[in-house]
Amino acid sequence: MKSIISATGLTKRYQLGKDNFVDALRGASVDVGAGEMVAIMGPSGCGKSTMLHMMGCLDNPDGGQVQLNGRRVDNLGGGAITKLLREEIGFIFQGFNLVPTMSAIDNVAIAAQYAGKSRREANRLAQEALDRVGLADRADHRPNELSGGQQQRVAVARALVNGPSVILGDEPTGNLDSTSSAEVIDMMREINLTTGTTFVLVTHDPDVAEACDRVIHMRDGLVIEETAAIGIWEGAPCGTDAAVAVC
Amino acid sequence: MSTVRNIFRRRLRAFLTIFGITIGVFALVVMGSMAEKINLLIDGGTRYYSDKVIISDASTSMGAISTTPISVGRIPEIENVPGVARASASVYMLLKKDQGMSMGVPQGIMGTDMRQVGYEKFKLTMAAGRDLAPSDRGKAVVGSDVAKALNAQVGKRIELRGEMFEVVGIYNKTLTAPDNTVTISMADVQALLYAQLPSIIQQQVKPEQLATGITAYPQSGVDPNQLATTIQGTVSGVNANGPKAFTDQFKSATKIFNSIIFGVALISLLVGGLSVVNTMTMSVFERTREIGIRKAIGASHRQIVGQFLIESAMIGFLGGVTGLALGWITSIAVNAVMASSGTVLFLVTPRLALGSLAFAIVLGVGSGFYPSLHAARLKPVLALRYE
Repeated sequence: MKSIISATGLTKRYQLGKDNFVDALRGASVDVGAGEMVAIMGPSGCGKSTMLHMMGCLDNPDGGQVQLNGRRVDNLGGGAITKLLREEIGFIFQGFNLVPTMSAIDNVAIAAQYAGKSRREANRLAQEALDRVGLADRADHRPNELSGGQQQRVAVARALVNGPSVILGDEPTGNLDSTSSAEVIDMMREINLTTGTTFVLVTHDPDVAEACDRVIHMRDGLVIEETAAIGIWEGAPCGTDAAVAVC
Repeated sequence: MSTVRNIFRRRLRAFLTIFGITIGVFALVVMGSMAEKINLLIDGGTRYYSDKVIISDASTSMGAISTTPISVGRIPEIENVPGVARASASVYMLLKKDQGMSMGVPQGIMGTDMRQVGYEKFKLTMAAGRDLAPSDRGKAVVGSDVAKALNAQVGKRIELRGEMFEVVGIYNKTLTAPDNTVTISMADVQALLYAQLPSIIQQQVKPEQLATGITAYPQSGVDPNQLATTIQGTVSGVNANGPKAFTDQFKSATKIFNSIIFGVALISLLVGGLSVVNTMTMSVFERTREIGIRKAIGASHRQIVGQFLIESAMIGFLGGVTGLALGWITSIAVNAVMASSGTVLFLVTPRLALGSLAFAIVLGVGSGFYPSLHAARLKPVLALRYE
């Protein structure tokens, strides 16, 4: 499988106080194949979120390097990072992080507008993306008028709208009840399998891990173990790999 | 829409900030409209005096309006000075004997010998009735502001210094001196002036010889300032003032008013500006996480700066609009209240209205600049971790 993200020997030290350091990463390496859906698990403070931020160019490592689609990205400048965030990477966060003063469709369209699309084109793409996550009829609702699960689906639509090759999720089901959580997991898996978009999800949720192809376990800033997961997708047609557990 | 919603996320704070700008712009509009009124008066005066020389008795102190008589008999002498095309005598006196200080031009009574006709370029037009004819006696034509103060209407009678006059016309508004002047015939005003003179002077002069000023109109191509010097040197016992004497006098008045406006603008800049800086900085801190998200989904520095600048410009705009509206209403209300005394204090001109609004927006943008830059420079990963 062709590698899409390759992080090698990442180190990162945060200074908290004068003589108080935390080594978030101590030489961790992760390789993600194109079209894979991968979970990163581990106890709090193991460095999994830091790892995700570095894959998404939101933070720079102190040592090691990150490659995206074969290009080194850990040393890029502000403008190049912005371009990368617009075109190749989508983010989903635990707290949904929608802009509370904007409607669902505006929250999605803004990402397309940042990427240089006209207002009309951005709205069209946003409507399509909302359709994709089953929220076409909620386009004009503001975040506080949507359930947690619906808000997270809007966030997924926002991550999708510019057609990125990678979507990075930081605890995407962390604030959801089990029903909404299952819906969101199912939807991400469906998108992953039908569009080939790579997903890397930092999670504590075993249900998320179960839906992925592979689970990367981290502890104390290092990758300690990788396991293959079942890759459940409740909606998968029987006969495909993802359907093994359902049929 | 989203911009307005963002501003009003903290309703009280937004209102207070906008209110701060409102007060500043309100002060600017009120003071500014007063200055605009004065400036127009001065413009009118400058235009009026630009092509003539005003001659008064040498014992009178310098100024446009003289109350010490000069003899009409000096006209031939003045017209003999090379460069003078025409000289015309006029009488000017205050409307009320014990008139107090007033803003702008005092109310007055004026009459001329009509010799200026054909030479005077400052034209007055009629709002009602007709202009004064040379043969009129006991008739008056009234300026627009003084008409309000005297409640004058065409056909009605008004009292001037104890005598009754019939109003035959009302002039259109000029925004300068004629608005506060009642024009009557030369003979009538000479009689009024004569009646006011101490008896010792009355014995020495005849009413028909009385004038308070003589206006000399230069021949074409003659510089009125130079002509004033020539007249001063040739004709004895007179003061001759060209346009420069008046503009110099007016300039100092304009300067004082303009510095008041500048002061008010500066204070509102400081007070309003600092409160916008404060509001926007708070807003940026409160929305640190939102800024992180926006950057993570691909917003550039410029887009973040733009978003916050539009918000602070909007705060400035909202404050500017309300301040302008309040100032405008105030100036209309005060003018209405003071109309009965013939004083028009305020004039909100389009350039003042647009200027104050632009000032408020620029103030908003200027004050929003630092907080916006701060927002754009936030590192997304730190912003995302911020709760």
